[in-house]
Amino acid sequence: MSTATDSTVTGPTAVRRPAASSPNRVDARLHRGAGRWVVLALAGLFGLAMLSPFLLMLVNAFKSAADYSQNGPLSLPTEFYTQGLVNFWNRTDFPMKLLNSVLISGAVALLGTLLSLVTAYAIGIGRIKGRVWILAVFLVANMLPQEAIIYPLFTMANAVGLSNSQWSVIIIFTVIQSAFGIYLLSSVLTTFPVELLEAAALDGAGRFRILWSVVYPILRPTLGVLMVFFFIWTWNEFFIPLVMLTSNATQTVPIALASLQGDRLMDAPTINAGALVSLLPALVFFLIFQRTLTRGVTAGAVK
Amino acid sequence: MKRSSRLGLVAAAASLALALTACSGGAAAPTAGSGGSAADEPKTLTIWDYESDESAMGQAWAKAVEIFKAKHPDVTVKQEAQTFEQIQKNAKIVLTGDSVPDVMEYNKGNATAGQLAAQGLITPLTDAAKQYGWDTKLAGSLSTTAKYDDKGLMGSGEWYGVPNYGEFVGVYYNKDLFAKYNLQVPTTLAEFTAVMDAFKAKGVTPLATAGAEYPLGQLWYELVLANADRSFVDGYQLFKSDVDFHGTQLTAGTTALQDWISKGYIDKNVAALKAEDMGVSFIKGKYPMMVSGSWWFGRLATDMKADWGMFTFPGNKLHPGSSGNLWVIPTKAKAPTLAKEFIDITLSPEVQNVLAEKGGLPVAGDASVITDAKVKDLTTNFQSILDQDGLAFYPDWPVPGYYDVIVAQLQGLANGNKDVNATLDGLGKAYAEGKDDLLNG
Amino acid sequence: MTTTQAPTRRRRATWVPYLPYLIPGVIAFVVIIGYPLAMNVYYSLFRWKGGLAPMRFYGLGNYADLLADEAFWTSFRNSISMIIAMVIIPTLIGLVLAAVLFDYLGRRFGPRVASVLRATYYLPQILPVAVAGVVWNWILNAQDGAINVLLTGLGVADPPDWLGNPDLAMPSVMLVLIWVQVGYPVVIFMAALQRVDPELYEAAELDGAGWWDRLKAITLPQIRPETFVVALTCTVAALKVFAPVYVLTRGGPEGTTLVPSYYSFLNFFDKSKVGYGAAVATVLTIVIIVVAGVILGLQARSERREREGR
Repeated sequence: MSTATDSTVTGPTAVRRPAASSPNRVDARLHRGAGRWVVLALAGLFGLAMLSPFLLMLVNAFKSAADYSQNGPLSLPTEFYTQGLVNFWNRTDFPMKLLNSVLISGAVALLGTLLSLVTAYAIGIGRIKGRVWILAVFLVANMLPQEAIIYPLFTMANAVGLSNSQWSVIIIFTVIQSAFGIYLLSSVLTTFPVELLEAAALDGAGRFRILWSVVYPILRPTLGVLMVFFFIWTWNEFFIPLVMLTSNATQTVPIALASLQGDRLMDAPTINAGALVSLLPALVFFLIFQRTLTRGVTAGAVK
Repeated sequence: MKRSSRLGLVAAAASLALALTACSGGAAAPTAGSGGSAADEPKTLTIWDYESDESAMGQAWAKAVEIFKAKHPDVTVKQEAQTFEQIQKNAKIVLTGDSVPDVMEYNKGNATAGQLAAQGLITPLTDAAKQYGWDTKLAGSLSTTAKYDDKGLMGSGEWYGVPNYGEFVGVYYNKDLFAKYNLQVPTTLAEFTAVMDAFKAKGVTPLATAGAEYPLGQLWYELVLANADRSFVDGYQLFKSDVDFHGTQLTAGTTALQDWISKGYIDKNVAALKAEDMGVSFIKGKYPMMVSGSWWFGRLATDMKADWGMFTFPGNKLHPGSSGNLWVIPTKAKAPTLAKEFIDITLSPEVQNVLAEKGGLPVAGDASVITDAKVKDLTTNFQSILDQDGLAFYPDWPVPGYYDVIVAQLQGLANGNKDVNATLDGLGKAYAEGKDDLLNG
Repeated sequence: MTTTQAPTRRRRATWVPYLPYLIPGVIAFVVIIGYPLAMNVYYSLFRWKGGLAPMRFYGLGNYADLLADEAFWTSFRNSISMIIAMVIIPTLIGLVLAAVLFDYLGRRFGPRVASVLRATYYLPQILPVAVAGVVWNWILNAQDGAINVLLTGLGVADPPDWLGNPDLAMPSVMLVLIWVQVGYPVVIFMAALQRVDPELYEAAELDGAGWWDRLKAITLPQIRPETFVVALTCTVAALKVFAPVYVLTRGGPEGTTLVPSYYSFLNFFDKSKVGYGAAVATVLTIVIIVVAGVILGLQARSERREREGR
């Protein structure tokens, strides 16, 4: 189904005519009917089902250990207990861990998205020869099980003096996450409307200008998605930071949470409280970037 | 995003970079010779451990750090709280790097400390043991877990680690429930089964355990040890003789476990339960007894409402248990002499008595300082096992990865999908393969 | 406007100037991925305990052992269940939800409602897996879990042992995985739907097309790139899945929920059979590459067909 030719032929006129008459017609049709409420209720119920484990977490996060042991996880707490969380906060120097996690995840989100954009530009729009194979090679980064690459990575980091440094983690995850970014962006860019590129080229814009003034604005929602994903995926990464970061000053939040789980005993209420606290930055990041996601920029508007 | 906010992002990234280089860790101290005295070593002692601060060990070691600081006011002590998983699984990788601690808590046994020793990742401490007198303080089975040979098998060879405390497995019981049904603490296995029958008759499942983690395996091991002697343990744990997996001890123990399951002494849905579930259900009072280790003591003391106590597994001369975790010194440590002094301080009476008071089962403590009755009971139980040389280590120790094998095989037994012979076959096969791997690489 | 010869002449040379844009990516990947991957294959040819232990050459022996290893085959069989739980079901659910949220609810109730619902569906993705394991254990626990407490309350005498019964454990793990995965396709598809030119929908509406027809004729073809991306990445994730299995069942009961990544991990770390673990990881990587290659090939073919259609 060809889309581009329709728009160029019918151009501006097609945009104007429906726009004049649609608001009233669309409005009237959409904002009535009981059917929409049923659908909303169903979607809401599904959302509630998805959230129910979190409610369980909430119930247990503010329970004292004794209360939890005596009454089990399903009962409401007998009192609002925050001491476990306070102890955890102080013992693991949680603010330091939060800072490390934010720095690392933020850096990976930024650098990964950048790397993905630049590389996907070459593959998707430049249509480099043999690009399916190149793409497959990049994707391998995401396909490797982490335990397979940890030994060599650790040795390399030590050799270049990055032992126990957040930069080693940032570099590794920028590469691993970019694999996904390159794939997503080049898939989208392959279907990018060619006329926009040609029009800009005719105006005398070089490849670099085209990247930033034509491609980037249209891709913004997708780039927003990448930033969110990269931040959240890196935030929750446990294994590679566990091996690379060996001192409390550099460790991240998931490692701090894991310290509540010992060899044979675990502190369930504090784990929950700690997890809820650690969820917040990732959630905040998601909510902030949701605004980018909802700013619908379409091919039509750019024209 | 507007152009200006994009520039803002770039600026943020630049400051990110600066912030990161500022707070990154990384070894900065110069390397010191391994035989040097404390004077040539850098003035920092880095300690890694993973015990919680409120535990007996955590408090005792805090005292040790205090004493050390008083002795060496010019040395900075950096105590890094690590996670168990990190150290357990990744030590082999991390210790080859440059950011290693000077002294580290590590698990004992062939599969853990033994491996590090065999690979030269931790320094031998035999000379220090003689110099500081550790070999006299830690006698008998306590020192078994401190020494490893060149293949990484415990029991002989150089000293590689120093334990501060011990641990053992016994039976925790709910005194209130026992009183409710007029039952006495059993002293023989027959009495034990009678007590469990009595509970069963009243509709109460007597024993809390967990099939997805270590508890069921430890219970099984107790039943095996009921028919075993020291030479069996030497064969099973130290490879001093071959183990017949269809021999008397193992067959009797496994059959007993199956028997207990079919009689309903143990919940039939035990396969997926985790140790945490077991503990919580015992604390709640759902089960009157729990067969598990001294590491639960602290938590029961704070969380349990009902009156409770602990007795050693009735009738056994041998019990699962061992020395506690070891202090080891990595080969690449920069301040080994300071580390050795620290270890010596942890064995000193002041620190050991802190362990004693808090129920930490010290290796060289004075039981008379204990004021709490329950702690006294726990410590007396441990002492009696030590006196009989009754520590038999843990069932998953002999070969690496045996923990998962035991869990899987016993799950099969509990679910009724495997009979005794099939279970023993499975256990025996994995044991033989693992032993071959260990000895022949 | 343009002659027929100019495009082909231009295309042969046009891609070359884009090569410099590839350089950062290529360098990064060779260093961080290429070298470790090569090392991993290298390790798989040895018997090695890790750390500073000696490495003993074993040729393809590890691979021969793999083929005879029952646990290895079980783990790959379980991967198929993982694909169902992490690819097929979440993609379908995600597609429907995204379309409903963006197209239907978004236009009738405003984008705010759609955003809130999207956030709730995505939340499980943000939760650390270790904690999710603890929480789901509270739900699925045979004795005190929320589900079984509810069932006993409703009068069921012997509620199922969700995680302990070898026949039920895998489906239970799959349920948790679906819960975790659903949010991901929803977010991607909703962003994709924003790329679609609303004029197309308006034109179709003017032609009298209903919601379902619009979905089939406009939405699905337009978001085809993202559909492929979701299919591929979820499949790779399903083949690589480790953490949820680790926290829920540790591969049990009786080894019924063993997956290749977890099996490799066990060998690397618990059993200290690094060479063997590397072999499992290499085989897993090859399987992933082959599967991914097939999906990529399908995607390239569909892209080519679409461009030719223009």
